[in-house]
Amino acid sequence: MYGGDEVSAIVLDLGSHSCKAGYAGEDQPKSVFPSVVGSVETPGAVVDGGGDTDMEAKKSGEAEKAKSRKLYAGVQALGYRRDYMEVVPAMKDGLVADWDVVESLWDHALRDRLMIDPKEHPMLLAEPSFNTQQHREKMVELMFEKYDVPALFLAKNAVLTSFASGRATSLVVDCGGGSTTVAAVHDGYVLQKAIVRSAIGGEVLTDCLQRTLEAKGIKIKPRFSFKRKEIRQGEYELIPLDLPNTTDSYYAYAQRAIVADIKESICRVPDSAFDETSYANIPTTPYELPDGQIIEIGADRFKISDILFNPTLIQTIPGMEKFGTEAGIPFNGLPQMVIESINKCDVDIRRELFNSVMLAGGTASMHQMKERLEKDLMEEAPQAARVKVLASGNVLERRFSVWIGGSILASLGSFQQMWFSKAEYEEHGPTYVQRKCP
Amino acid sequence: MADAKDILGLPKLGERGSTEKRKTPKDAVKKPDGIHREVYALTGGLPPIMSTLDPVSIKKRAAPTKKISWQWLPFSTSARTDNLQLYHWVRIVDGSQPSGDYAFAKYNKGVDGVRYTDEEYNQLLVDPNWSREETDRLFDMCEQFDLRFIVIADRFTPPRTVEELKHRYYSAAKTIIQARAGPNDDLSDHALFKDSYNVNHEVDRKKALNIILSQSRQQDREDAEVIAEARRITEARLKAKGLEDTQVLIRDSLHVDTTPARVPSPSPAAAGDISFLSVPVTVASTTSVPVTPVPKPVSASPTPVPVPSPVPAPAPAAPTPVGPRPPRVYLRGAWLAQQIHSVVSPAGVRIAKRVDQMLEEYNVRSKPKVPTAAVCAEHLELRRELLNLLQLQKQVQHKENELAVLRENPYAEIPPTPNTPKRSHRGLENERVSTRATAAGAEFEGFPSSGERVGKREHKRKAPARFQETPTSPPYHKRARKLKGSES
Repeated sequence: MYGGDEVSAIVLDLGSHSCKAGYAGEDQPKSVFPSVVGSVETPGAVVDGGGDTDMEAKKSGEAEKAKSRKLYAGVQALGYRRDYMEVVPAMKDGLVADWDVVESLWDHALRDRLMIDPKEHPMLLAEPSFNTQQHREKMVELMFEKYDVPALFLAKNAVLTSFASGRATSLVVDCGGGSTTVAAVHDGYVLQKAIVRSAIGGEVLTDCLQRTLEAKGIKIKPRFSFKRKEIRQGEYELIPLDLPNTTDSYYAYAQRAIVADIKESICRVPDSAFDETSYANIPTTPYELPDGQIIEIGADRFKISDILFNPTLIQTIPGMEKFGTEAGIPFNGLPQMVIESINKCDVDIRRELFNSVMLAGGTASMHQMKERLEKDLMEEAPQAARVKVLASGNVLERRFSVWIGGSILASLGSFQQMWFSKAEYEEHGPTYVQRKCP
Repeated sequence: MADAKDILGLPKLGERGSTEKRKTPKDAVKKPDGIHREVYALTGGLPPIMSTLDPVSIKKRAAPTKKISWQWLPFSTSARTDNLQLYHWVRIVDGSQPSGDYAFAKYNKGVDGVRYTDEEYNQLLVDPNWSREETDRLFDMCEQFDLRFIVIADRFTPPRTVEELKHRYYSAAKTIIQARAGPNDDLSDHALFKDSYNVNHEVDRKKALNIILSQSRQQDREDAEVIAEARRITEARLKAKGLEDTQVLIRDSLHVDTTPARVPSPSPAAAGDISFLSVPVTVASTTSVPVTPVPKPVSASPTPVPVPSPVPAPAPAAPTPVGPRPPRVYLRGAWLAQQIHSVVSPAGVRIAKRVDQMLEEYNVRSKPKVPTAAVCAEHLELRRELLNLLQLQKQVQHKENELAVLRENPYAEIPPTPNTPKRSHRGLENERVSTRATAAGAEFEGFPSSGERVGKREHKRKAPARFQETPTSPPYHKRARKLKGSES
């Protein structure tokens, strides 16, 4: 690599849906796992776990607490059903909510999956584009104090996505799990006044799909709640297991995992706005649930995806009518968000932004998303500007574009002067991060 | 073939006997090192005359004498202010490390900003809109963000527009540089002074750009439709006007009586600039030079067209502008040429030339020397009348021919009148012509009897009384046009 100089940095990207970790310089993160933990409150003494990472929530100042919390992170740990295990998410509304959870996630990533000693590797952390000063400082503190990293850098998601495609200026549409963010990047810096957010993300779509299926009478059984026994060759009998101590949150989490899989494999974005009548006769696609049930999904495939472009559709889904009224964040469709964001930017760069609209995020890897967005944008955009939507063809690249951008950035030779080192941290304190990582 | 046999190890025919003899020559033919034998054979088995490719160079180069290894070593870069040591792979040659700074440190380029001292600030840069702290912060951010004003504006507190920031920075920088520069320094080459920042222009430009970019496609489409509609309407109206013009023109020139005031047609509301106001037609009965109205732009007050007749009273708009529309601003001479062209061209090139000839004969310039409004009007008028004259003469001639033919042979077929489309309007007049012709013809029988051609000249008269004609002899008198007398 001409501009590259590997210093074996580590790139960590903590998202609302999944956490990605890996070495800088590689093209895929080595470790991807959900950014939730299972937490079991055990009264009394600490119990050593086997195999999984245990983490004591007790810090030195909290020794008075009678109960301790055992946190299980990672796919394996979460996949195993435990009594009274609650599922606790790390992020809420796109920002970190629970720092203990975050710590356990990082532990899991660094020690279990990447198996490195954080003392030897500079860390590049990806943060949300609208991260607050407090969160940044806390993150920096955590990293330096707990993990003793030699150097650190906090980069915004939108900037990393932009770098992943080789551009310094672009409009990044990040359709992630928890929310959708549209941010403008100019010359490598996010324009904070032009960030537009919407609460509609992959999770919301999954919820909608779940409600729709339930309304149709399809019951989704989580994997742990049954056992399949082979009676004859190729035929299975379903034996439901009764597990009374399973928490609701875990039950819901397991269900959602299945529905998310349905969504990822079947849902497609319609070519134009969805309306009930025209899609009434669409042929249905079969899908086999883990318990052997085969369900047919027809027009709902398109309806769910179209929620991104037309959020009022949520109201029509039984069980989700109250969604819009509760949330504080108002939401528009994707094209409107894009136009809004661009209009908040300076006039001179608008054309360039129209010309390079980037799609990123897990939800953006739905079929036909790019074409539909381009079409809708061309309708709304002014005549003078040429609209071009870019998206990597590879589905995995779209999902991990933030991580990939971080990988590129951290392995550049000219980036090595920009690290926020431990010495600087000790000299200036965590507030120095504002200066060092603009 | 022999080669193939060789490969297979089969003996060539007759070789065995002569192996010894051929040993030395064979040695000489032995392939050189470095090329495959077959490839060598391509050249004919002989070394090429000129060495093309050194066989030695094709071989793998000798193993490097130095020992190269890679080690994981710490490094520091001069671009950093602290002494952070990161590790990377270093190519070690013979145990010695590469010296010199970190290779990428040379890319650490920034923008050379200007920085003021306190005295300079107090002396030069005090500004009512900008406090000291704000200015300080601005300059800090300029340094941090390398003069990326859009990003700076995004993060500046309190929020200010990009233009304000730029204006403050550039004017401050200029003042400082000017103050610091000695008397001998030439500043005109400095980037700041070559292209100086103009705030107002920038603000206006951005406003305009904003307007352009905020029109959505829908609006653009609607606008385009509206404009297309407007254009269609104007064109339709013009066409209608054009037809009207030509009709009126012809009728005007023939009538002796006063042209009745026409119903004013609504002046076309052209999509934009031009609207017509024309002077009505008045004709004096006696001298009866019909005055064709002259088009005028609205702004000009209707100047009376000087005519040897009573001044025309500007009545409410009567119709008939001349063919082409007058442009808003024009040179009268050029405009006149255009008008002439439009008046004359439908009639044909030949006739146009004849008009010109006639003008020449009378020593009238084809282009008036001093093209004032009055002069031009007169000139145009003159040309029109000449045109009419010629056309009428032609018509008359034709009718005379017909007459002659009919006289000879009452049942002869008369070919239709040649190419004068306007003549269709002249139904009545033609009849009058013929009746008068007969009366006159009886009078002047035998006048130009001998086959001599009669001269063309008769245009001394300008009177419309051209219907008298000489009786023509048989058709070879194409141009017997001597008009005698008048109807007066």
